[in-house]
Amino acid sequence: MNINRYKINANLSWWIIGTLVFSIIFYRILFYSNSSHFFFIINDLIVIPLVVITVLVIIRKIKQINPLPSALVLNSGIIVAFIFLVIIFSEQFLGIIFQNSETISTNPDLFQNIILSFYSLMFLAITSYWFATMKELYFYKRYSAKSIYFYLMLTFLIITSVSSLLFRGKDYDFINNTFEIITAILIVFNSLKISWIAFISKKEKISLLILSIIISALFIINLANSSLNDFNGKILANFSPSFYTFYTLVLLFGGVYFAVLFFTTLFHIPTAEAYDRKAKEVSSLQYFSKLITRVLDFEELAETITDITTRVSSADAAWIIIKEYGNKKILANKNIALVDADLINQFLLESGYCENITETKICSLQKFVKKSQLSEKFGSIAISPLKSHNEIKGYLIAARKNELLFYDEDKTAINTFSDYASVAIENSLLLEQSIEKERLEKELDVAREIQKKILPAKDPEFENLSVTSVFIPAFEVGGDYYDYFQISKNKFAFIIADVSGKGISAAFIMAEVKGIFNSLSRMIESPKDILIKANEILQQTLNKKNFVSALYGIIDLDKEVIRFARAGHCPALLVRENVVKTFKPSGIGLGLTNNGLFSKHLEEIKIDLKQNDTLVFYTDGITEAKNKELEDFGEQRFAEILVKDYDGSVNKIANEVIKNVTLFSRNHTQYDDITLVIFKWYKKNNLDGVK
Amino acid sequence: MAEFNTSIKEQGAVSIINLKGYLDAHTAPILENNFVDLIDKNRFQIVVDFKELAYISSAGLGVFMAYIEKIRESNGDIKLAGMNTKVYNIFDLLGFPLLYEIFNSESEAVQKFTEKK
Repeated sequence: MNINRYKINANLSWWIIGTLVFSIIFYRILFYSNSSHFFFIINDLIVIPLVVITVLVIIRKIKQINPLPSALVLNSGIIVAFIFLVIIFSEQFLGIIFQNSETISTNPDLFQNIILSFYSLMFLAITSYWFATMKELYFYKRYSAKSIYFYLMLTFLIITSVSSLLFRGKDYDFINNTFEIITAILIVFNSLKISWIAFISKKEKISLLILSIIISALFIINLANSSLNDFNGKILANFSPSFYTFYTLVLLFGGVYFAVLFFTTLFHIPTAEAYDRKAKEVSSLQYFSKLITRVLDFEELAETITDITTRVSSADAAWIIIKEYGNKKILANKNIALVDADLINQFLLESGYCENITETKICSLQKFVKKSQLSEKFGSIAISPLKSHNEIKGYLIAARKNELLFYDEDKTAINTFSDYASVAIENSLLLEQSIEKERLEKELDVAREIQKKILPAKDPEFENLSVTSVFIPAFEVGGDYYDYFQISKNKFAFIIADVSGKGISAAFIMAEVKGIFNSLSRMIESPKDILIKANEILQQTLNKKNFVSALYGIIDLDKEVIRFARAGHCPALLVRENVVKTFKPSGIGLGLTNNGLFSKHLEEIKIDLKQNDTLVFYTDGITEAKNKELEDFGEQRFAEILVKDYDGSVNKIANEVIKNVTLFSRNHTQYDDITLVIFKWYKKNNLDGVK
Repeated sequence: MAEFNTSIKEQGAVSIINLKGYLDAHTAPILENNFVDLIDKNRFQIVVDFKELAYISSAGLGVFMAYIEKIRESNGDIKLAGMNTKVYNIFDLLGFPLLYEIFNSESEAVQKFTEKK
């Protein structure tokens, strides 16, 4: 059985109500007879459907609006107060029309009849409203669908109402009384089931407490003022006996229900705060877990964490400490000055008091020496570690101004939030790292691309000079640069250089260096002069921190001579027969000093080339290649390989060197670019002889 | 990554920066800050002690170049001391001995400053 199932078309129900209202008024005007039992039976056959349909219409209205229970209670309260006033003043107002109150029941005239009917119909509407309201309150937030007691009560309400119509007269009073008593018991029984009270906030509970006792009292007073001896009671009983019974029972229901509501609320008040807090906690957590997946900005999330922590743990202030590169950074300080937070952090962490906590710890600030320096008087602290991968990444701290320590319940709440914060930190750190990594890789890709384009695409070929080069870039572009310039038919120039710094900035300097040497090599035919000119330019353009080491040389293929100068670069090696000779002419790196000092110390070397002379130029990527023990590959090992393979081709020598360097440093990352350029001279006369 | 740190001690008008560990592009800012601090405090007589320095990269060398001009303009100097052979060779290759006074020990470098006076 379910009242909600009886749905009638909205328009139709209004038509029915209208028809019934007109019928009852006309019926009463035409056939009014106080003494006829039959009159009342027909009368109530109209009234009862009217009550039923009014109740249904009101229930539907309430469902459409879906108000909060407190709003329903307030509405009933306003109406019950209104009825209270109506009942009190009804005799005075209606007394103007009725000189004798006895005429109400005996023989009212047409006008009086209409007035009385409307008066009663107003009561009918209001009673229906109360009943509908209480039905809705009864079913509000019920978990079990079992409503048998309510419908039992409803059944008895109807039976009692109808029986009061059928069994009129003192002889049958006992039947009516029995039904009334049973209904009253059911009313009390049903009133005990108030389940929605737990779900409202403490503030609402307090206002409900006051409202419910007033409403209950008004219902009872209205009931007392509506007895058959009272003016109002007489009118309603005379309008319809069954409605009158229904009316008194609804008043009783109201009185009992709101009285029970009062006491229930009263008993709920002490736990209201705890309930409120739990509810807040649950809703914050919900909000939080939604947020955590959406917000990528950790600082924004941190703000939310401290905000919710202060609210849920009833703290006055909260903040987060994040450990970053050994430093502790305060984040999202809520309701506390950074200076204060700093002082408290010092006390908590640097005194070793809370450094290695595994869960939330509650501390008093009583022993805090610098407490007087705080701008606000914080007294109690709860500190919770933020962990990720079993490592403490930071702390969530909540503070109270009074000396009351945090309770264990607060501890649980703070723990929960710090767990969430830990997850958030983890997420954001991972994200940040991957973004940073991606950015760096992109940047390095660009740098490598630049370097690749700057370096010569292939080695030149000459009749009596073999040339080979090997270039192995480091992960972070190291700034190695080498190049060849064909100055004239019989003059060939080369450069090998290392730009300070790494990555994209080194790549840009390389590009500049290439430009400089590319143009200077066409204009100047002296390695020393070229380097001096290059230093002049680079000294002006480079950042003070940057410099370039370079070795520039020119080989005269006709005269069989090599001339070179070294500006801070690795020495040149000459392998002649099976001896390695190191050439390290004086020279300062490019861009380090002014031209005066630079040119003063720059030395140019000239070597006459002999058959099978091998010239080796390199960058420190070779000699500084490291093994697992962090030993350098060094010049010694380098020279040994060169000696061993001195009569091989340039490619063979280069391969041997690279193979050895790679083997040597196989357990260590290559931090710097490796560049190796090898020339081998085959004497002209000899070749001629072969021809 | 290998660690790097510095410590500063004052000896009269001379400030001695002690380097320890690996000085490269990643750790160079630490030493830069030291120089900036000293310049802010108008302490221009600086000795850098390399005794405990294991490695220096080109970016590490750059730090010395960044401030030397300013320090010399203020009648100060950066003097280098206590390098092991490996570190010295790196400086030597680039011609640093022509630009800076390099001493065997920190005390010799400090003495050079005081003699001048």
